[in-house]
Amino acid sequence: MTGQTADVALVVPAIPDSIAVIRQTVSGICEALGADSRTIGDIKLAATEACTNVVLHAYAGQEPGTIELDAHVGYDELQLLVRDHGNGMTPSPLAEGLGLGLPLIAALTTSLTIVEAEGGGTEVSMTFALRDQPTDP
Amino acid sequence: MDGQWPVLAMSGEHDLSTAPELRARLHELGDGNAVIVDLDQTTFVDSSILGVLVGGLRRSRERNTPFGLVLSDHAHPAIRRIFELTGLHDVFPIFASRADAQAGLSGTATAS
Repeated sequence: MTGQTADVALVVPAIPDSIAVIRQTVSGICEALGADSRTIGDIKLAATEACTNVVLHAYAGQEPGTIELDAHVGYDELQLLVRDHGNGMTPSPLAEGLGLGLPLIAALTTSLTIVEAEGGGTEVSMTFALRDQPTDP
Repeated sequence: MDGQWPVLAMSGEHDLSTAPELRARLHELGDGNAVIVDLDQTTFVDSSILGVLVGGLRRSRERNTPFGLVLSDHAHPAIRRIFELTGLHDVFPIFASRADAQAGLSGTATAS
């Protein structure tokens, strides 16, 4: 879905207070799509972790830039792109944490890709199933 | 404290933006005391908050003072979910109520 016009696009400063703005936006999208509460919680958590990585790592050693969120809605899935134009996701020596962010995102998504963003920086693509997947007979 | 350990009750959503305040409160409360963090009214925490809680647990262990969490059956499912996803539900002493936490932690040290 990358390259298509996003159904929802948001650009916020890469500061801690922006993370809740993105989380509430994502929550609203999920509610509008009729996702259940567990799915909404999972998507909120993954979006939060992706944005936290941007705030902590992307602009280390420089002025904070932006977090870009694109949401693409499919028939039974939601794709979120979280993009920055910083240094890439290299660990910051100043950052504290357990290193749980990316493993959590991987556990919560049906697919996860991390690529260099156009113009530099990092783009994290996360896809979520909005409904239970059919099981093989 | 009347023989009771201090309780830090959290509510609402918490992430990187509130992690520094939580860290400061835990430092303040944990200075020589046991700490109980009540998560029952919390509706969201991320790995930033888990990192602060793990830091509090680590400091408590270094000081040999108890540290416990309250997470009842009525807690928000998202809170239980992140603890289960990360395996941290096996790391923290978790109690079903503040009373259980007070009683459980009293077995490991004496309240001031």
